[in-house]
Order: sequence, then structure tokens, then C-alpha cells
Amino acid sequence: MRGEGQRGAGAPAPLWALAELRLRLTWRRLRGRGGIPELVARVSMAAMALPAGIIFAALTGLHAYRAVRSSGVSAALAPAALFFGVWQAWTVVGVTLSDRESFELRRLLVYPVSPAHAYAHELLASLVGDPFSLFWSVLLLGAFAGAALARPGAWLLLLSATYLLFAAATVALVALLQELLARALRARRVRELGVAAIYIGLMLLVVWASGRGPGAAIRALRALAQVRWVAYPAALATEVTVHLYRGHTLAALPWLGGLGLATAGTTWAAYRLALAEAMSGGEGAGGGGAAKGGGWRLPGRVGPLLELELKYLLRHPLTAVLGLVVPGVAAMVGWRATPMIPPEAGEVVRALPLFGFALYALLVTQGVWLNVFGRDRGGVRLWFLAPLELADVLRAKNAAVRVLAFGLFAASAAMLFATGGLPPPWAILAALLLHLGLGPFYVAAGNLVSVLNPRPGSHGLQRGASLAPASALAGIAIFSAGAALFAPPVLLALRLDRPWVLTTCWAGLGLLGAVIRRATAAATARLVERRREALVEAVAGDL
Amino acid sequence: MLAIETHGLTRLFGEKAAVSELALSVPAGAFYGFLGPNGAGKSTTIKMLTGLLAPSGGRARVLGLDLSTDLLGVKKRIGVVPDGLGLFERLSGAEQLRIHGQLYGLPRAEAARRAEELLAALELASDAGKLVGEYSHGMKKKLALACALIHGPRLLFLDEPFEGIDALAVSGIRRLLVDLVARAAVTIFLTSHVLEVVERLVTHVGIIREGRLVAQGSLEEVRGTGSLEEVFIRMVGEERTDPAALSWLRGESPA
Repeated sequence: MRGEGQRGAGAPAPLWALAELRLRLTWRRLRGRGGIPELVARVSMAAMALPAGIIFAALTGLHAYRAVRSSGVSAALAPAALFFGVWQAWTVVGVTLSDRESFELRRLLVYPVSPAHAYAHELLASLVGDPFSLFWSVLLLGAFAGAALARPGAWLLLLSATYLLFAAATVALVALLQELLARALRARRVRELGVAAIYIGLMLLVVWASGRGPGAAIRALRALAQVRWVAYPAALATEVTVHLYRGHTLAALPWLGGLGLATAGTTWAAYRLALAEAMSGGEGAGGGGAAKGGGWRLPGRVGPLLELELKYLLRHPLTAVLGLVVPGVAAMVGWRATPMIPPEAGEVVRALPLFGFALYALLVTQGVWLNVFGRDRGGVRLWFLAPLELADVLRAKNAAVRVLAFGLFAASAAMLFATGGLPPPWAILAALLLHLGLGPFYVAAGNLVSVLNPRPGSHGLQRGASLAPASALAGIAIFSAGAALFAPPVLLALRLDRPWVLTTCWAGLGLLGAVIRRATAAATARLVERRREALVEAVAGDL
Repeated sequence: MLAIETHGLTRLFGEKAAVSELALSVPAGAFYGFLGPNGAGKSTTIKMLTGLLAPSGGRARVLGLDLSTDLLGVKKRIGVVPDGLGLFERLSGAEQLRIHGQLYGLPRAEAARRAEELLAALELASDAGKLVGEYSHGMKKKLALACALIHGPRLLFLDEPFEGIDALAVSGIRRLLVDLVARAAVTIFLTSHVLEVVERLVTHVGIIREGRLVAQGSLEEVRGTGSLEEVFIRMVGEERTDPAALSWLRGESPA
């Protein structure tokens, strides 16, 4: 046949070519801008994961050894704790942090490689070099070694198959969840509702358990045991392992078969979803999204800019997650921590949780204020094409992130008051001044970082952070510096036992921040103008 | 009167000159096709003329305004469909268009009215509520064109407006552009690789090669008696390939 490729004995198999492609892409990324910090971060993570894994593996090995030897209650408890613990941690980390979007199945469909092989390659590649996977694997290896030392024999073949299938099932389930979450993201609100349902459910469980005396926790665990099959990789692997530990090899076989079938089924479902997504072409898919833009009536020349920024922030799933989690944490703190502060500690100390949330609301939004142009992607060109003052653009961006932070703070404070009681009015005023006063310092510094080290922001959650490692490091320094600037009044107020010191000092610092922000706004806008090429190249990926 | 006038316009990327000593003369009301092979400097020129890229040297006047001293004034009067578009994927099409209009100084109600009309004219009305990220490539191109038009610009910069869209959409956009030049006296500065379409549309042509302008004038002046494609290939240099190369593709054994 004319033009037929000459794939002979010496030619590389396509899967090896894929592996090479992935390695080259990783290598290029590490050699590119921001590559060295990423490399250092990855090596540091791996360097921490291995020793930590070995220490914990010694513990899992010891428990496995005892469980095999005793064949009593611990024969059931040790594997259950190991599998459920590893499964939930692996799933949470996999769903929230793993970066599988960088290598799409759609781009591989053009090659003469079986999509199933390419997908399997994808899953395998996502494990290699992942420090978390390394950590979980070492834990499982430790448990296996403990069991092997306790009772050597042929049954260990079945145990090793169980561990391998458990790992494969967990990876497949994470992949399936990622596909489902990616689809849910398209149908906005579904994802947020799901997160809300899980969150509220857990809160109710904690409240229910804590209000019913010492035995309630055990009753709650029993209730959880009824639904353990949802976490089937852990549940099935536990059943197999318990039978194997007790020496009931035949009884373990049906469970092992079930685990194998479930793993295959999950992998197939994840693969079909990924393939359907890849073959849909991603064009015009998904049906109706946002409502037709009726629009907000925000006044002034910054009004439309602010509308755009606020809509962008509100539509980001991170906002919904923060909106659920931060006030939830505040409710927990108000309910459990605040009553533990004795009245004799003084009003200032009792108000510290509230001050903490005034700061925390700014901390959790740093992914936004340290990379204000990131989520604009291609839209960033408009700031330089339209007849706009760049100072106005920055003003709108800063106002939007401060509205978000203030909303989080207000919701957290409300939850704190609802569960822990209302603090004195001066404390509320002081917390408000602290939050509003620190904001200008942070956004002024964040604007500089955003311009000097921009990177494309994510519109999803599963892609991990949208900050370059150097920006994240700058964020830690900026946040610490701001907090350090605002801390001395607390010490002074404690020493003098005069709460008004806080309100006065924080109001003064806030005014100073606002003055600095105003003074530097024009210079920052000029810096944006000067660095527009680098900014557009970094965020929109062209020029 | 000239809509665009440049003298010695240059842009360096390191040592390499992407655009060198460019002297453009685009008459007002012209439909100007700016042609060149890949990497010739077309997009770089558009980016300089629209304020996305700072020139390394030279001067440019757009609609009578000096680009270096009155960039904001230029921006108010021009519309741009940049290479790679400039859309916000997490806004709906209607929101994108209305807010875009407001950012160009239109009152909110007027921007909303024009957005509705443009969406209808470009057959996007049924997808107005959909997020831009869910649009197909062709729909995004049409929306980007609508954004460029919403404030009624006197000069339109279009970087590869026909790239990656179907014949039906090309036909619709072409009609709209011709209408703009004929009825509204808008000047259009367009880059495209589709020479047949360009030849049917433009009144004036400029050809750029390796950053330098090699031909410029009315369509008749530039193409003479031949076709635009023939002139283009002659100007930018026909690719010469070794006849022995790619022999394996013709089923011949390698020597």
C-alpha cells in the first residue's frame, strides 16, 4: 500500500511514543518559566513522602502482623482502618489535586492507538511521579510485609492480588469521579449542591453524635458501616483481607472476584465517559448555561467592570466551596472552641476567634488576589484593546475580591455568633476594621505579584491551585507581613487591657493601607501597561 | 484621507525583526487585505496597530490619531477581532456582548439593545444565554465579531476572521462586512489565508514577507492581469521542494 508506515521490529510501539511524549512535555514544562520552583516542589514532596510513608508503613505492618496472629477483633479492625483510611485520603487528594487535564484523551484520538490503551496509559502515568500515590503504596506495602512475616504461605499471593486490585479500583474510582465532576461542572450548581449535601450531612452527623453521650460515636460508626459499600474498593478489600487473615481462603475468593469485577466495571465506566467526552469534540455541548444577561445596574465607569469581575468570581466553583466551608468551620469554632476560653482570659482573648476569621477570609481568597488576571484567559486582551484606564480595571478586580472576602467574613462571623454567642460591640467593630484595614495592603501587594508573575487561572477545582509556586511563596510572605503588622495592637491591648487600643490602631493602619493603595494604584497600572505583552502571553498563551 | 498610516514601523523580538520598516497606507473606507505567509508579521502588525504590542520603532497614525500619544482615542474608534479572540468564557454570549459595549462607553440600555440586534443578525440569538466556553469555534468567531462591532467603530481590524469556520458562517460574515464598507463607510483591515475570499472582498491589498511590505495598492494595481494568488505566490516566493524528496510517499524505494 502506498504511504504505508514502516513499522517493523525495531519501530517503537505507539504506547512507548505516548510515554515519551508525556516525558518530553513534563521536561519542557520543568525547563520553562516557573519550572525550577515546580521541580523543587515536586522533589521536596517526594522526599517527604517516602520517609513518612516508611514510618507509617512500619505501623501498618505492625498492625497487620498482630491482626494475622490474633485472628480476633483486630483481624477485622486493622484492615478496615487501613483500607478506608487510604481510600478516603487517596480519593480526596486525587479528586481535588490531580492534574489530569494536561493530557487529554481527545488529542490522542487522532493517532492509531487504541483509545482504551491510551486511557490505561493515562491512568498509569497519573500514578508515576505522584508523591501521594507513592505514600499510599508504601503504606500498603508495609501492611503486606507485616502479614507476610506473621504467616508466610501461598495465601500471600491472594493478599497481594487484593492490594493491587484495591489500588487499581481506587484509581479507577477517582478517575470516574473526575469525569462525573467535570460533567457536573458544566451543569453549574449541581456540583455546589453536591458539596453542600455532603457538607451538611457531615455536620448533622457530628452534631448528632456529639449530643448523645459517649456511646454516640460508636453508634455513628455503626450507621456509617451500613453505607460502607459506597466506598467499595475499601469495603470489598476489607472483606477479602479479613477472611484471609483468619485463614478462610475459600470464603475470601467470592469477595476477591467481586473486587475484580467492580474494578473492571468502574474502569470501563470511567473510560466510556472519558471517550464520550473526547469524541463529543466539546463544541456546543452541554445545553443552556447562564441565564440571558439581564445585567446588574452598577453605577459609574467601573460598574460594568465590577459586574464582570463579580460574575466571574461567583461562577467559580471555588467560591461556592469557600462559601460552604469557611462559615462551617466558623460554626464549629464557635460551638466547640469558644466555650473553652475561660471568662477570666478577658474580652480581647475571647474575641480572638472572630479576629482570626477576619484574617482567614483574606487568606482563603489569596488564590484570587495573587493572580487577578489569571481567570480572564483570552479575555485579558480586552483590557488592552478597549478604551479603558487600567487603574479602573485593577480597581474593579480588587473590589470584587474584597467583596468576596467580606462576604466570607460576614458569613463566618454570623455562624460564629450563632453557635458561640454574640461578642461585645467593640469586638465586632475591631474585627471589621481589621478585615477592611488589611484588605488594601494585601490587594496592593497582590496586584504586583499578579503583574510580575501571572499564570492562567483554572475554571475548575480538579486542576489544583491556579498559582505559580513563586506566587504562592510570595503570598505566604505577604500574608505573614500583613498579619505581623496588625498583631502588635493585640499585644498592646492585652497588656493594657484596653480594647479601644485595637479599634484605634486598626483604624489607623487601615487608613494608612488605603492611602498606600491609592498612592500606588497609578504606578501599578503603569506597570500593567508596560508588562502587557508578558501578561497576555502568560494568561492567554499567545503573542 | 488615510485610515492607517505607518512610517518605519518596526517590532523586534530579541534580535529578530518580526516587522521591519513598515510603511502602510490604508485609505479611509477601504477594504484592505493584508496578506502574507505564516510568520510574515501580519498578526504582529495588527497587535501594534491596536495597542496590544508596543512597537520597537517607527510611527503610526490610526484614523488621524497618533498611536503613541492618543492610544485611548484610537481604541474608542476601532473594533478588533484579535487572533485567538478575546472572550470571557464564563460569561454568557449576551452578557459578554452587553458588558463589552458598556466598556466601550455605551449606556447600559443601549448596549443591551445593540447586543440583542447583533446576536440576531449573526444567528446567535438562540444561544445568547449559553456560556461562551460552550460555544463552537464558529460561534465564538461570530461573537468576537459582534463584540468588535457593538460600539460602531470607524475602523475594523480582523485577524483571520474566516479561519476554522464553515462555509455558511463565512458567507454570512462576508455579507455583513461588505455591507459595512458599502453602507457605513467603515474601513476594514483584514488578514486571511483564504485568497479567493479576500480577492472577492477587498478593494486594496498589502503583501508582507519576512516583516517587510513587498506590495501595496488597489486590488487592480497589485494583481494586474493575473489573479491575486499568482501575484501572492510570485511575491512571497514559491516553495521549492527537492523532486527526490518524499519519494517514499509515491511508493518509490529509497535510493
